[in-house]
Amino acid sequence: MSTREIGKRIELLQGTLDLLILQTLLLGPAHGHAIAKAIEFKSDDILQVEQGSLYPALHRLIKRRWISVEKGVSENNRRAKFYRLTPIGRRQLVIETSKWDKLAGAIARILQPASK
Amino acid sequence: MLEDLDQDIRDHLERETLDNIERGMSPEAARHAAVRKFGNVMRIQEDARAVWTTVWLEQLLEDIRFGLRMLRKHPGFTIVAVLTLALGIGANSAMYSVVQGVVFAPLHYFQPDRLVMAWENNPRFPRVFVSYPNFLDWQHTSRSFQQMAAFMEQGVDLTAPGSPEHLKAKKISAGFFGTLGTGLSLGREFSPEVDRRGGAPVAIISNRLWRNRFNAGPGVLGESVTLDGVDYSIVGIAPSGFRLEDDADVYTPLGDGDPLVLNDRGAHDGIFSIARLASGVTISQSQAEMSAIQNRLDQLYPDANRDLGIYVQPLKEEVVGNVGGTLLLLLGAVGLVLLIACANVANLLLARSAARKREFAVRVALGANRIRLVRQLFTESLLLSFSGASLGLLTAILGVRLVFAAAPEILPRSENIGINSSVLLFTFGVSLAVGILFGLAPALKSSHADPQTALKEGSRGSTSAHHRTQSTLVIAQMALTLLLLVGAGLLLQTIRHLWSVNPGFDTQHIVTFKVGVSHSLMKTASSTKVAYQQLIERIRQIPGVQAADFTGLVPLTGQSGTMPFWINSQKPASLQGAPRVVMFLTGPDYLRAMGIPLLQGRFFTPQDTTRSPCVIVIDSVLAHNYFPHSDPLGQTLSAGFSPVGPCRIVGMVGHVKQWGLDDSNSNIQNQAYFPLYQDPDKWVMTNYPDTTIVLRTALETATLMPSIKAAVYGAGSDQPVFAVQTMQQIVADSMSSRRFPMILLEAFAVLALLLASVGIYGVISYSVTQRTNEIGIRVALGAKKRNILQLVVGQGLRMVLVGLAIGCVAALILTRLLSSFSHLLYGVSTNDPLTFVTISLALTMVAALACYLPARRASQIDPMVALRYE
Repeated sequence: MSTREIGKRIELLQGTLDLLILQTLLLGPAHGHAIAKAIEFKSDDILQVEQGSLYPALHRLIKRRWISVEKGVSENNRRAKFYRLTPIGRRQLVIETSKWDKLAGAIARILQPASK
Repeated sequence: MLEDLDQDIRDHLERETLDNIERGMSPEAARHAAVRKFGNVMRIQEDARAVWTTVWLEQLLEDIRFGLRMLRKHPGFTIVAVLTLALGIGANSAMYSVVQGVVFAPLHYFQPDRLVMAWENNPRFPRVFVSYPNFLDWQHTSRSFQQMAAFMEQGVDLTAPGSPEHLKAKKISAGFFGTLGTGLSLGREFSPEVDRRGGAPVAIISNRLWRNRFNAGPGVLGESVTLDGVDYSIVGIAPSGFRLEDDADVYTPLGDGDPLVLNDRGAHDGIFSIARLASGVTISQSQAEMSAIQNRLDQLYPDANRDLGIYVQPLKEEVVGNVGGTLLLLLGAVGLVLLIACANVANLLLARSAARKREFAVRVALGANRIRLVRQLFTESLLLSFSGASLGLLTAILGVRLVFAAAPEILPRSENIGINSSVLLFTFGVSLAVGILFGLAPALKSSHADPQTALKEGSRGSTSAHHRTQSTLVIAQMALTLLLLVGAGLLLQTIRHLWSVNPGFDTQHIVTFKVGVSHSLMKTASSTKVAYQQLIERIRQIPGVQAADFTGLVPLTGQSGTMPFWINSQKPASLQGAPRVVMFLTGPDYLRAMGIPLLQGRFFTPQDTTRSPCVIVIDSVLAHNYFPHSDPLGQTLSAGFSPVGPCRIVGMVGHVKQWGLDDSNSNIQNQAYFPLYQDPDKWVMTNYPDTTIVLRTALETATLMPSIKAAVYGAGSDQPVFAVQTMQQIVADSMSSRRFPMILLEAFAVLALLLASVGIYGVISYSVTQRTNEIGIRVALGAKKRNILQLVVGQGLRMVLVGLAIGCVAALILTRLLSSFSHLLYGVSTNDPLTFVTISLALTMVAALACYLPARRASQIDPMVALRYE
């Protein structure tokens, strides 16, 4: 595969991917594949995350102790690693969400035609 | 976490595949879609791993491991590259250690940048030795200096304890060590009580003397040494390695010296004065205050001080002297050698990178990060340069020893030269810069390789771009080599011309040496004279000695003995401003010994004594300047600050080169001779021991020396014979300020030629390999061996000629611009056509030879083999 094709997908900044993962885990622990599906599903397939990039992001979040990992069994009796929000992670989610809102709001205001 | 990553990824892919199957895809399509959606597994793994490690360190270690593997796989390349770099970097480190030791390193005293040297000066000389009464007045009145001291350099004969030895000594004022901020190893320095006429005879000895003669015993204080027949009590030991200007073994108080010199405000006889600036005072401020003080002194003592000024200079400036400019020039030259070496390694890397194009294309296609690739290439370059530097440091140690062999005497502060931390830092910096420099071009080129084109092409890859770079580098190498060769050639010519200069006396068959006449024989002026006369008679009796006599000054040795003079009692108002003459104090046989021609009248005879009227002999220049239309014989001349004369001129002799073979008119050219045995009694004890014996003989020095020593010891067993030199040696040493850069520049030029030849050989050789196909076709189409030879050698010579052209232009410009170089030349101009043409021809021939070898290989290519070669 050529390196050019990958670039066509909307490359998410590292930080935003982390945010999406945290948000997804708010609803409860999940394994990697499920998180990827959830993000795709909830965004109506607009966010086509390169599924593999999830894993380094998960490792980052584990390193920062915003999520924890435990081994378990999935819906179809396969073993899987489940990721879960930690209390710190929950707090961080609130902070990051509000930062994101502010950022999005600012950009939106700039892009709006000037109000009369 | 990381250990499970592979498993996690596999699980993920399985799940996605199952989902795809549920959506209706076939198992293979499902799998395929899952994999595509996942992304580049290798990269993901790398990224995940990167989260947990100090990324850059891991990657660096990996790069290093990879680089080492690469270098091991191509041992030929690695060895050549490392050796080339070792030569280049090693030579630079050696040169830098000399420059930093002599020029950059601070002096080894306390706060050395606050130390200055204060000279007197007059309209004729910018620096004049200080007179002692003036110095004392400065010391009392100056406020710019927190401390001042004075010293004089001399020689003493030590006769006890141990065997007689002539030692270098200093007479120092109280506070000498204090001014420098140096403490003594043992004891204390002189107090003002001893530093005066009649002060107790005390001495400070050097660490070396303490170890040699007293076994470094702690009870040495209070022991005595016998110097020039007088016992001195030891009160201190100087620290190990201490020196200022000359290094001395014995220090005695300055104030207890010859009152004739010390009390005479007009005597400027070898006294230096140093000072430490008071805090907050700058040199220019001190200069201003001292000038004002000197002005007042001039008004108080017009006879001695009229027209006398003062000059304050940083102590370091005085110690380093003139050699700094030459050293920096040589550092620049060796830098050029390094550039040539780098060009060679760059060319080698370019050749290899062409071969590795395929490797990089594949790695990029597999998703490798371009930046990472560039970093890896840089790591390889740096590995090469650091290996070269390590080997180079060993070369540098050798190189420093060679530098010392080239000119030990002209390098001040040579004790500082060595591979120290400053040199190591420099070497590290240079190898870093060098590694980046020659790694740059190949790294950039390789990383821009378009994978598609690279994979489609054969392993040869495109050569045209590389060839252009390689050619440019070869041209640059040729130009730089020419520059160095021209520099060395011009200096070689200079030395040749200097040797052909007639100095006005015989340079063969003459030996000079000094004798420390026993002080028991020198109690009075007359006993001294008798002792010296007897000594020279004994020496003249030795078989093989054709002529021998004393002289106060030996030409070309850098000794100076000028004094004001006037003709026919026309004493000038200001002695300081009066014209100067170089005065030789000699015995009657001196002229014959030296082979100086007598042009008119007579030289001295044994009948010229203090009881007969004083006589003087002048040289042709003085005669020409002051007696252009009249006969000098019969007229009178007086000379000196404590004048001698008027004396009758009885002869005229040929002029000698006193200051150097390239003696120019900026120096004092008037010369005159005064009979040693007519020297007034009050000066005898000072002047006689300063004389050198000049001896003419057809025998070898080694054969004659034992007889001379026997004769001298026969007159007194405690009389050392020292400072033995042949006139040939003296002449050679007088050129050392030029011989030193010549030898080094020659070494650099040869090194450059070697590197450049290897360089052009490599590039042409590589080009032949690349063009094998093309050459095969040519041969198949009917080209003869001769044509192929012409083709290949022609390619090489084109580069050489362009390089020569550029090099010649650069040489013409630089040799003129660099005054520190053009000042070294003598008898040859900076654009000497003979030098340029000869060197250009020589360089072309060497380069042509270097091209011939691959050319021969090319001409022997079998077209059938070549056309199948890919």
